[in-house]
Amino acid sequence: MKTKELFFCAAIGVNASQVDELTKYAETQIRGDRSSSKIQMNIETPNWSRTLEITSDVEGKDFALSTIDSPAKEKGTRTLRIKNNMWNYFPKLKKKISVSSSMLLSSWMGSDFTNDDILKASSMNEDYTHSFGADIVKDGNDYKMIEHKARENSKVMWPKIVALTSKQDCLPREYHYYDKKNNLKRILTFSEIKTFDGHLFPTKWTMMPQNDHKKMTTIIYKDVKFNVSFKKDHFTQKNLTDY
Amino acid sequence: MKIFVIVILLSSSALAQVKGSLSGNVEMQGRQVNNSDEAKNEFAQDWDKEEFYLYQGNLNGKLEFKDSKIQSNLFVRHAKSDLLKKKEPIPYLAPGIYSFPKKMVSRDVFKLVHTDTGRSSETEYIITNLSYEWNYDNRFAMGRLNINYGLGEIFNPLNPFNQPTGLTTLNQVSQGADGFNTTFFVNDKHTLNFYILGDKTQDGYDGQIQKTLWIHGEYEFTEKLQFDYVAGEDQNRHKLGSQIKYNFDSSMMFVQVLYQTDFTDDKPSHPLWDAMIGYDQQLNSKWHLRFEGGYQKMNRYMTESSFSERFLPAEYFIAIANQYEIHPLIKITGTVFTDVKDGFTYILNRNTFSIANNIEADIFGSIPMVKSSSNDNPAQKIITTDIGISLRAFF
Repeated sequence: MKTKELFFCAAIGVNASQVDELTKYAETQIRGDRSSSKIQMNIETPNWSRTLEITSDVEGKDFALSTIDSPAKEKGTRTLRIKNNMWNYFPKLKKKISVSSSMLLSSWMGSDFTNDDILKASSMNEDYTHSFGADIVKDGNDYKMIEHKARENSKVMWPKIVALTSKQDCLPREYHYYDKKNNLKRILTFSEIKTFDGHLFPTKWTMMPQNDHKKMTTIIYKDVKFNVSFKKDHFTQKNLTDY
Repeated sequence: MKIFVIVILLSSSALAQVKGSLSGNVEMQGRQVNNSDEAKNEFAQDWDKEEFYLYQGNLNGKLEFKDSKIQSNLFVRHAKSDLLKKKEPIPYLAPGIYSFPKKMVSRDVFKLVHTDTGRSSETEYIITNLSYEWNYDNRFAMGRLNINYGLGEIFNPLNPFNQPTGLTTLNQVSQGADGFNTTFFVNDKHTLNFYILGDKTQDGYDGQIQKTLWIHGEYEFTEKLQFDYVAGEDQNRHKLGSQIKYNFDSSMMFVQVLYQTDFTDDKPSHPLWDAMIGYDQQLNSKWHLRFEGGYQKMNRYMTESSFSERFLPAEYFIAIANQYEIHPLIKITGTVFTDVKDGFTYILNRNTFSIANNIEADIFGSIPMVKSSSNDNPAQKIITTDIGISLRAFF
């Protein structure tokens, strides 16, 4: 259900009063139609840490290809998603395996992000309904709370996500993920906003699981290219196995 | 002078387009193995408890040009144990299981294998991959190839060129096969592979290379339903098979069937057929479940020395493999395998610890809980009880 409210957001002007428009704007900024990113992922706990580098290519909601660039142990491991079909490719063994779409739920390489987060299988705009919540001031900044609830027919991992959206640039600064029992399970924060190809983009994403406050995973976007012209066969099994 | 400069410029431009890379891994593994009464009494395996050490590694090389690449892999394996000492008339059979797959080149024409045998050790230097690949609209490859397809992890009869390693403690292992492969990407839904392979190792080379002519196709009926088919002649048998995979919303199910005729020459044989059903589901973010069950027709003409040709020491089997991530750096895998006909039951546990970005360790154990009293499947009798540790590094 659409909720209209006077809510000024300079970036999209009058459309900011429509929660659907606001959600669509934020997703378009962050996700774009076609993007290619160089990502560094840091998994941190008090006792150990781990760093991975990834290239992530995404086209719309249906196509994604990720390639691990380091460390050596996983280098070259690729994951292709076409709609709900997923394949992993291990170039050293020349092995392509079809994996269950339920693997979208699993942790990505031991991090606090899931395959779904990395392969961008779900879309906030398409898979959720949206409604405005309270106005919030945090650290001197004004935010609007937006509640996203999973649509009945959507196959998403999180039934409810509460976003804290900046009134200044209309981009989310926090996502709070809730499970079916309405328990808060993890918080994703966005910071260090930069501009890439005309898109405002948070380059630092920090995921904090709520069942283990000593652990967190940070993603740093080193480079993001939007409106990339991928080759016709980029999101195909032929390209997946050409590494 | 001008010509010389042009040649230099062209050469440097061509070289700039060439990318090369080296990578690999090394592994040390030690295990204590305990023999069973059945192996002692029925197969003259006269030992109780031994130690077995395995050092192995891969060195991968890759040179990429514009549309083509040359790839290679050198696999080195050094095994050390008193069980490797020569013994007549029946050799010690257990090492064949610990270093499974023993035969690293499944269809061998070019030798590219060197073995040094010591008094109680064995070192193998094997090129498991040396291939040229040309990627145009389709793909052509020749040389020593790694052929990997099929969803089975414990039993994967659809692919006779690479044995599944789900029940072993080894990973990063892939068998080679000599020949040619052309892959046609017919359309978004259909991929067709043609293989022409050779083999001169089946029963010793007698001047006649056995040919393999093989088709493997993948066809996607719908987003959820995929069909694989294989057909051809391989190791003097005609073979025909298929795999059907169905994706449910949160799981995957697959079925494989492979039929093999008797030998095309006059050697004594009978037809073989294998079937399996598999199920795979990520139950939550930490727990992964796999089920495989099936039937493998026993080969009445199989000898002790050919145990490894058909790996599973069972006729009717059910296997359940659970993998649980108790910590981002620790994964526990437990596999229970049982032959529902004769009761043979085997348990394998493997705990993998990520020690650093490129180093991991395994602690593993395997126990044959029940062995059949019948002699229908003699391979069961030689399986030992093991506990071991391995350390693996990648570069």
